[in-house]
Amino acid sequence: MPRAAWLLRPPGPVPYDAANAAMHRLAERRLAGEIPDTLILLEHPPVFTAGRRAKDDELLWDPASVQARGGIVRKIDRGGSFTFHGPGQLVGYPIIDLGTTPDAGGYLRRLEDVVIGACAELGVSVDRRAEVQTGVWHGDDKVCAIGVRLLRARVTLHGFALNCDTDLSWFAGIVACGLPDRGVTSLSELTGRAIRVEAVRPSVERAFASRFDVAFEDAPDEIVEAFTVAADVA
Amino acid sequence: MTSIQMPQLGETIVEGTILKWLKHEGDAVVRDEALFEISTDKVDTEVPSPVAGTVTKILVDEGATVPVGTIVMEVAEEGAPAVAAAPVAPAPAGAAAADAPPAPAAEPVGVVVASSIPAPAAPVSQPAHVAASVPDRGPRSQILSPLVRRLAREHSLDLGQIAGTGTGGRITKNDVLAVIASGGTTAAPAVVTATAPDLGTAEPAAPPAAAAQPIQLGVGDEAVPMTHIRRAIAEHMLASTQATARAWTLVEVNVDHLVRLRERVKDDFERKHGVKLTYLPMVVRATVDALQAFPDVNARLDGENIVRHRLVNMGIAVSYDAGLIVPVIKGADGMNTVGVARAIADLAARARAHQLTPDEVQGATFTITNPGPYGSVASVPIINQPNVGILSFDAIVKRAVVVDDAIAIRSMVNISMSWDHRVIDGELATRFLARVRQNLETWDFAEDLGL
Repeated sequence: MPRAAWLLRPPGPVPYDAANAAMHRLAERRLAGEIPDTLILLEHPPVFTAGRRAKDDELLWDPASVQARGGIVRKIDRGGSFTFHGPGQLVGYPIIDLGTTPDAGGYLRRLEDVVIGACAELGVSVDRRAEVQTGVWHGDDKVCAIGVRLLRARVTLHGFALNCDTDLSWFAGIVACGLPDRGVTSLSELTGRAIRVEAVRPSVERAFASRFDVAFEDAPDEIVEAFTVAADVA
Repeated sequence: MTSIQMPQLGETIVEGTILKWLKHEGDAVVRDEALFEISTDKVDTEVPSPVAGTVTKILVDEGATVPVGTIVMEVAEEGAPAVAAAPVAPAPAGAAAADAPPAPAAEPVGVVVASSIPAPAAPVSQPAHVAASVPDRGPRSQILSPLVRRLAREHSLDLGQIAGTGTGGRITKNDVLAVIASGGTTAAPAVVTATAPDLGTAEPAAPPAAAAQPIQLGVGDEAVPMTHIRRAIAEHMLASTQATARAWTLVEVNVDHLVRLRERVKDDFERKHGVKLTYLPMVVRATVDALQAFPDVNARLDGENIVRHRLVNMGIAVSYDAGLIVPVIKGADGMNTVGVARAIADLAARARAHQLTPDEVQGATFTITNPGPYGSVASVPIINQPNVGILSFDAIVKRAVVVDDAIAIRSMVNISMSWDHRVIDGELATRFLARVRQNLETWDFAEDLGL
């Protein structure tokens, strides 16, 4: 019997700071047991985020160039190195309570499974490369970055970023994931046809529900509004 | 006093880095308040306090990377006596614990080749007073140069009594010279020369006066008549080496995730199933699967025919006071890991109590020996007739291995097989062992433990 879980699909590109803050608030509420496990699916305007292991010289563009292209840079609290979020990329933030004996490695494998399963539905063959890095790969190119933090060693924060028809030229601005000799790709590039976020999202939702054994219901409006209202303000 | 450890965030995560202490010595904390932030190769998180109280001790520097389970902080619980009143600080246990190799499988099983050698005493059971009187014994205190050993021997010094000042507690020449210069001999040699207790090496004291017939004995020699079992083992081993064309193959297996899993669930497992969880049942399961995939290994030679066994009766070499015996897990192919663990515990206990029935030591279709608990890293066993192979599962040790062109620390074990070249060829032996390795490296045994 699947557990009930919330699904949040805030419309439009959600500014990074607003989404990040709302995600952290939801995780605190999940930790307090006020809300069920939740999956947030959204897109961001262009942003480079630097995880705890990011080195300054892995941002290859100076801040002015980033800004000139309409992007921003944020240092955030997840593990890992630099990555990029932007239009055409499906970002998933699962807020999951892993319990008092969390298996973070197992959780990351499940996230990979979700993305692999969703891509398979779309006819794209991708795989994990656990010996290289967490994430989902096609050969030596990463199609989906995964970076996670646990709140109080228990509730998941951040998540996965699946390139659908992302403008991959942005990735020239960083040493993506701290791996200089690995490339980045997207579902559109892999298939040679335009695969938009809207086309991928249902597959990701199905694969997630199956792998995490949850039944989604839409989150209450006021929860979703926390993202959209904050977005308006930001 | 509550000790806070580097938390276990999953089987595959073996170490973590302290990013930042959020609480410092003397700070009050409430339950579930974040104490420090950590970073692992998979995730970052902050670690909450399991109790309310006061931080009394921080044992690791910010930025340090330590193995999971290392004690990094101590918190005095609310209402507990203030720690300042107790000037004797507990020795930091973290480093030593982290250095200890993973506990070997506890099953006492036989070293088939060396079965005539009495089981060695337990590894390094140090006299208790040593630990008590020398406060700081670093992880490298056991590493001694030949010069240090010679100086100590010449001056009858007990190195266990000397605190090393070298890297990691290593005892240097100067440390020893200082003791000699101070005129010191180290105390308590009596305890030290008394070696660890004989663990059932079990030659009954004073064998009955042997031998009316003359035996050539040199000075200090003694003659001990073979026991009935000793003679039987000798005949069996010699017959096997004479009857088989024995070859041997070894594979290295990364059992990191099994070590994590066992650490995580062993207490629950023992509580629930009443037997200790060792690695041997997992190896048996992995081997049974490989035997079913390669039935020529689960076979015997009968005249001109190779007889393949569809069922697996797994012989487990067990050492006991009288020598070596191989009780058989009948129908091992139908058992999960819990069933195998129970069967092994039962057979080993009754073997040592001399309560096995003849039926229980016959009919093995394949045999596993597990000399690992004594620290061997590779063994060449003699095939248990009429099997065509015997698998040796040696000690699990942490080793530096190359993973994706980087050096990493992994719990590794050597698994090898002596096989009869009359029936098996090298390719089959290697593919069989590769299957065992693949099973051990990729199976999620968690689902097989009935927890």
